[in-house]
Parts: sequence; C-alpha cells; structure tokens
Amino acid sequence: MSEHSTPATTRPSARKRYKRIAYALLGAGIAALFVAIALDRFVLGVALYWAGGIGMGLVQRFSPATLYDERDAAIERRASQTTLNVFAYAFVLGTPGGLVLAETGHVDLPGEFYGATWTLFAVFVVFGAAVLYYGRRT
Amino acid sequence: MRNEIRKRRAETDESQADLAAAVDVSRQTINAIERERYDPSLELAFELAAHFDCRIEDLFDPDR
Repeated sequence: MSEHSTPATTRPSARKRYKRIAYALLGAGIAALFVAIALDRFVLGVALYWAGGIGMGLVQRFSPATLYDERDAAIERRASQTTLNVFAYAFVLGTPGGLVLAETGHVDLPGEFYGATWTLFAVFVVFGAAVLYYGRRT
Repeated sequence: MRNEIRKRRAETDESQADLAAAVDVSRQTINAIERERYDPSLELAFELAAHFDCRIEDLFDPDR
C-alpha cells in the first residue's frame, strides 16, 4: 500500500518525523559540545556541534516532506518583527540613556555595554541592507 | 477571513490532517484557517479551491 493511499489521520506525519530528526541532530550536537567542554575536548565538541547543525540543515534541505509551510513563515516574520522592535527600543532608548548616566557619573558602564551597543548597531545595519536588497528585488 | 473550509471538509468527510496532506501544509495551518486566525496565501487558497473543486470566492468571503 502506498503512503498516499492511507488516510493522513492514520499514518505518522512525515513532517513531524523529519522535524524531530532535524531538531534531535541539533540537540545532540549541542549536548556533545557541552559534554566535550566538560571533558576538556573543545575542538571535538565544536566539530560534533557543527556536525549536528549541518545534519539538521541536510535533513531540512533533503527531507521528502515540506517541514515548514507558509503559516510557519508568517509566524517567523511576525516573531522577527517583534524581536527587532524590542531591540530597536533597547538600542534607541538604552544606548543614549546609558551614555548620559555614565557622563553624569551615575553609573560606570562595563565594557559589555559598548559591545552590546555595537552588536545591535551591526544587526540594524544588516537589517537595513536586507531591506534595501529585497526592496530592489520585489 | 470567513471561510467554508470546515463545512466543505465535513461534506467530503475529511479530517484536518487529510486536507493538510492533500494541500501540503500542516494540520495546524488548516486548523488556523478554519478558526479564522490565519488567512492563507493566494497560492494555498487556489489549492484549497482546486481540492474542493470550487472557486476561491466559494470558499472565502472577505466581506463577512
């Protein structure tokens, strides 16, 4: 009996099965990284972590089932927009606020503050470049 | 958007999973469309209409 002659309700969902395999590979890679670090085998851990990530990518790329549909994409778009909005507020309000507090002697900003600021700046530069790129193509 | 997916699916005696497999989306996506929490793309709307052998406007009504 072919897969498509069986009602979908009575056969395991290929989408779920391959998603689980993909996430399991990534999870195994992350677990291997932590175990290897604990055993002082950092290079091996990173190699296993990469292998897990690549394995996940290969499953997603070559799975016979469509793992993510248009609703998943819509959810990701909205989640990405929300994430960007949160960090935009943190960047626009937090950075000058922190600098003012430092300049007025209220706080002593750690180096991490400047690192985070530059990271956020880089994120929004990349976002702007992506908007320009896709704006020209769409 | 109001739609007739649940009604049509009942007429053809299909489960959400059956319909999802037929149009290659997740069961959750069919459920979200039926509950009017997600509006499908034009492409998926065409696929659903083709599956039920009707026109898109027979399935979806943006004015209701």
